[in-house]
Amino acid sequence: MTNNTHSERHVTLLKAAARAAKNFTTILDPYELLQRTVDIICDEFGFYYAGVFFLDDAKQYAVLKAGRGAPGREMINAGHKLAVGGNSMIGASIANRQGRIALDVGTEAVFFENPHLPNTRSEMALPLIVGEDVIGALTVQSTEEAAFHDDDIAALQTMADQLAIAVQNSNLHRQAERRSRLLKAANRVGREVTSILDLEQLLTQTVNIICESYGLYYAGIFLVDRAGEYAVLRSGYGKAGRAMVADGHKLKIGTESMIGACIAMSEARIALDVGEERVHFKNPHLPHTRSEMALPLIYGGKVLGAVTIQSSEERAFSEDDITTLLTMAEHLAVAINNARLIEELKEAHDEILRNKVFEALTTASTEAIHWIGNKTLPISLTVARLREEIATGDLDVASLQEDLEMIAESATQIIQVKEQLIGAVREQRPRSVLLADVLKTAAHQRQFSDEALKVNIDSAAAYVIADSTQLARAIGNILQNAAEAGAKSVKVTSRLTEERGVLEIDIEDDGSGMEENVMQKAWSPFFSTRGVDHHGLGLPAAMHVVSQAQGRIALVSEKGKGTTVAMFLPRGYSNNEPVETGDAKTVVLIDDNDDWANLLANLLKDSNVKLTQTTDLKNLPAADLILVDEHITALSLTDVLSVISSAGLASKTVILTAAINPERVTQFLRGGMKDVTVKPYTGGEVSELLK
Amino acid sequence: MTTVLLVDDEKLILRSLEKTLLRAGFDVVTASDCKSGSETFAQNSGSIDIAVLDLNMPSFDGMPKTGAGLDLLANLKEQKSSLPVVILTAYDEVTKAKDAVAGGASAFFVKGREQGLVELIEKILNV
Repeated sequence: MTNNTHSERHVTLLKAAARAAKNFTTILDPYELLQRTVDIICDEFGFYYAGVFFLDDAKQYAVLKAGRGAPGREMINAGHKLAVGGNSMIGASIANRQGRIALDVGTEAVFFENPHLPNTRSEMALPLIVGEDVIGALTVQSTEEAAFHDDDIAALQTMADQLAIAVQNSNLHRQAERRSRLLKAANRVGREVTSILDLEQLLTQTVNIICESYGLYYAGIFLVDRAGEYAVLRSGYGKAGRAMVADGHKLKIGTESMIGACIAMSEARIALDVGEERVHFKNPHLPHTRSEMALPLIYGGKVLGAVTIQSSEERAFSEDDITTLLTMAEHLAVAINNARLIEELKEAHDEILRNKVFEALTTASTEAIHWIGNKTLPISLTVARLREEIATGDLDVASLQEDLEMIAESATQIIQVKEQLIGAVREQRPRSVLLADVLKTAAHQRQFSDEALKVNIDSAAAYVIADSTQLARAIGNILQNAAEAGAKSVKVTSRLTEERGVLEIDIEDDGSGMEENVMQKAWSPFFSTRGVDHHGLGLPAAMHVVSQAQGRIALVSEKGKGTTVAMFLPRGYSNNEPVETGDAKTVVLIDDNDDWANLLANLLKDSNVKLTQTTDLKNLPAADLILVDEHITALSLTDVLSVISSAGLASKTVILTAAINPERVTQFLRGGMKDVTVKPYTGGEVSELLK
Repeated sequence: MTTVLLVDDEKLILRSLEKTLLRAGFDVVTASDCKSGSETFAQNSGSIDIAVLDLNMPSFDGMPKTGAGLDLLANLKEQKSSLPVVILTAYDEVTKAKDAVAGGASAFFVKGREQGLVELIEKILNV
């Protein structure tokens, strides 16, 4: 070879080295970088083969990471590696930090014996150096004898140096990218898990989120048991996790396991199945684990448990990953702590509820036993005495009569309880009822004076879904309690609540009020502070009525200040459906000019019925139908019915009431009235009445 | 003649027990709450041999009270420590029975079993 030819070849080599270096410095993906490097080198230089070796962690072996073509793949698959400082070109170039050439020419011909590369006749090995560190080596091989000269080493070493920098850049890029991915995953875990408040759901979803976000083989969450002795697996990913949870998998806290040590030392642990010091992963449920990390779950300085995350890849985790993953574990610990607090609160609440229910049942049953005992005792006692008197023939008529009266009175009291608890009549279904009318009826029935009643009903809360008879009974009981507590006035308000479709009716009195302990027993049947003639059933019965109307009832009271009963009931609606009239074209309504009378007039205003409302019994106009409100403030019902009967109008008269009662129905019908029925509150109900 | 002070707020029980005791040959004085019971005893302390008190009835302030009978028991014992007292109740309750004995009651009698009340009084008084 002439000098000129040699120089030209050297220049070509330098240019190819520059092009190759330029190419692979733009590649950031490490896998692509190595694969393409060997191809670029072979293509640019026209070499037979190129391969890249990296040092292992122990720096004892150079392991082939990329090789040209099929020979390269075969050698990688075979785990081809060469000892550093050994007899190989690669081993020597790494050990000496210098490029080397071997040529199958001349007297010092080298015998190339690699069976994968039978055509190699020249080889150059170049160390890959970054700063002070040798990270591996590059081999280039040619089929030509004497393909390389010593002075080519410098030209190709420059390319090798560029490759080393590209590898380092790629590694840094990979680390940055990986960290970014981990941070994103940690954020996702943090964001998603902190919103879950149910502990079981939190743990189950967290392992799923971790495995999906990080692309991991397995994740599991252990929580420390109450004794602080074991970490118990509470949730595990997939089938393996479910099987281990079902088996009650737990690990002793201490140094025997990664999880145990992680919890005992409050620090993250890593185990990697790589290199010469392989960690033996024994768990039969997780045969593919090659790397494992254990992260402590710490909240407020206390270790709650630990998360295990496992990968089927070797070296899946680095020390750097711990920082990122610990952030995720911190979020998780907060979420676990929150969920536990909620759970504890719920448990405490349930406990209180259980105690309260037990207390209420005890109070109720005690009061009931007391009541039943006191009411039945005079019967059994008197009967025993009577038997004795009959047996001895020692009968005294006056005493006998007194005894019979006592038995009768006791029996009456027992029957009254049934009446108070169950009430008289139930309508078939709840309907929209006019609260003002029910209130007026209740007050009238209990002889509660109109002056003492201050009513303030919001127009949006004028109707309530209820059985008017039962609601009148419930309100009546509350008004009666107020009267018996010495109330001078009772304020009734009705308004919509923030809860959709629910209105609140407050009945507030200025009576004597109750002590705290009395208030707590107020809902118990048979509990009364007003002596033996009271059965203590007013409030329990009201509660029963409100509950049946899908509502709830509450009580606030202060000794010396008064009592407020709040009823929360479904809101009702007036409806504007047109009234269909029947034969009755002229209707007289005998009633006060009250809310219900106004409602009826309003419902009939667009119909062809002429309605006349009056309380003037002396001048009743002629009509097809007479409607009488059972409760009229201005008149006595007896007077009204007497006038109607005398005028021969009974057969045209229908008595209307908000609270119907079978005894009164019978009484009115026997008096010759046409009908007795509950008051209509909607157009449809008025149509029904007029038919 | 043996005289019994009977205190109960249930008027039918009071009257029925009174008749039973009268028929058994006792003299009976009655009251319907702690205050009137205490006063009745004070007025007749020389003649009353034994007291039968309801457990739950209006207390000295006139308000119904659980265990008011024990208050009256204490009051009567202050007036006459040797007075035998029977506590009568609808509750079959051990704690209250112990409280009654601790307060000096001679017996605790559950309502509904009072067919034996006459025999019990006779036994306590050895009549």
